[in-house]
Amino acid sequence: MNLWSLEWIRLTRTGRILILLAVFFSFGIIGPLSVRYLPELLDAAGSGEAISQLPPVTPEFAMAAYLGNALQIGLLAIAFVGAAALAIDAKPEISVFFRSRSSIRDIIAPRFVVVAAATVVAFAAGVTTAAVTSGILIDWPEPGPTILGSALVAVYLVFVVALITLMGSLVRKVPATALLTVGTLIALSIIGLYAPLAPWLPSYLVGGFDVIISGGDFVYWRAIALTAAAIVACLAIVVVRLDSREV
Amino acid sequence: MTAMIETNGLVKDYKDTTALAGIDLSIEPGRVYGLIGPNGAGKTTLIGVLSGLRTPTSGTMHLDSDYFAVLPDSPAFDPWLTAYEVVDLARNLAPTDVPESAVDEVLEQAGLAEAAHRKVSGFSRGMFQRLGIAATVVGEPDLVLLDEPAAALDPAGRREVLDLVADMRGRATVLFSSHILDDVQEVVDEIGILRKGQLVYDGSLEGLISQQSPRTRYVVEVRGDADGVAESLRAEPWVVTASASDSAITLEADSAESVEERLVRVLADYGQPVVSMQPNVRSLEDIFLEVTT
Repeated sequence: MNLWSLEWIRLTRTGRILILLAVFFSFGIIGPLSVRYLPELLDAAGSGEAISQLPPVTPEFAMAAYLGNALQIGLLAIAFVGAAALAIDAKPEISVFFRSRSSIRDIIAPRFVVVAAATVVAFAAGVTTAAVTSGILIDWPEPGPTILGSALVAVYLVFVVALITLMGSLVRKVPATALLTVGTLIALSIIGLYAPLAPWLPSYLVGGFDVIISGGDFVYWRAIALTAAAIVACLAIVVVRLDSREV
Repeated sequence: MTAMIETNGLVKDYKDTTALAGIDLSIEPGRVYGLIGPNGAGKTTLIGVLSGLRTPTSGTMHLDSDYFAVLPDSPAFDPWLTAYEVVDLARNLAPTDVPESAVDEVLEQAGLAEAAHRKVSGFSRGMFQRLGIAATVVGEPDLVLLDEPAAALDPAGRREVLDLVADMRGRATVLFSSHILDDVQEVVDEIGILRKGQLVYDGSLEGLISQQSPRTRYVVEVRGDADGVAESLRAEPWVVTASASDSAITLEADSAESVEERLVRVLADYGQPVVSMQPNVRSLEDIFLEVTT
């Protein structure tokens, strides 16, 4: 047993990996399914006029529906699952065990990497599910743009996990860490409404998913660079903060 | 010899409270040091500062340790781990190579062999305490800081913990805090008494008892007229006080030499049979209560 296997056990024995997979997997089915059958559903509900305003039933729209739905609940799930591992001082008695034996870097590294990896894998599983569901019900999305668009979202999700880690160094309890993370993400989205700033923000990468799979240009280098810098900065601050924080 | 723990003027303030008010401590390697004091005296804070989990407000400290382990007063572990996994994790986090067989050995010593592969979520507080000690000693630290290690244990559990602490003597330096004076008396080489953040005594247990039990106080037990003996003692110029209670007479003299030279003669002159005669050695509990209040 070491700090890396501990994190894997934390994810599996607590069922947290299943929570992440379930959220993204279910939206991987619901997204394309709703796109495919929304016209019929609206028609059955007597909302015929709304059908004409719907976008065409395409694999791109099915994938966009997956992302739109999955990220709302998914980010909440990631925030709580991540905080449960990354709020390392939530229980001081447990924290003493680790802090008196390892450096903050050694404690944080496996937690951050394993949670980030689990998040990306869960998201990728959702993308795959959505692509397969779309392929069965509508048509197959283009693999290249789908992978590229997914990679942009994956970078954003790693940033989210870094943000959870940062919040865990600012507050101690799991709910506070998770809610502060969600609040910060919402604040960043609001800042993103200011057009000149938007292309620099991590949340811009999420929008890139729809654009790329719809054949749009790749204009995300600035956001990728800033997001990568933000990830590094978050982790650096975490190490400094936790090194000086008393248990 | 270089001290294992050396602190100079260690101060720790929390907002309006001074938890440690200038602690000067020196503990030599291989010793078992008992830290006692009432609740709020600063024991946990001192262990927290020594272990680096809390930052001193001022003062200096030096630990001459390659690897130390600390056990909090209420140890806790992730509930989805088994006892074996907790100790194995502690083993792997130790800086030295410790064979995996050591995990079973320390679990056996801690009385947890049968519960080794059970998840700790169902453990009692006493089992957590013993698991904490197993995880603490498995890495063979040269310095062990234990905060109230026997507080939550039943008599058998306490016995096991004290045996574990006693076993470490000579192999590791042990500092453990406790408010159970019997435990301290049983295993320590040296003792420190904390009161309101100050180390009011630091030295051997015998030294403390001797210091607080001057040899000018004696208890004499006689058969028969204790009041008469006390009265005749009070007439002696070297006796400060003498009082009788049942068959025992407690007296205080102006010096130890006076007692040693004259007490026997006075008793012999009075002619009352003497059952026993001894210096009035006070209990650690009495001393503790006096020193800490």
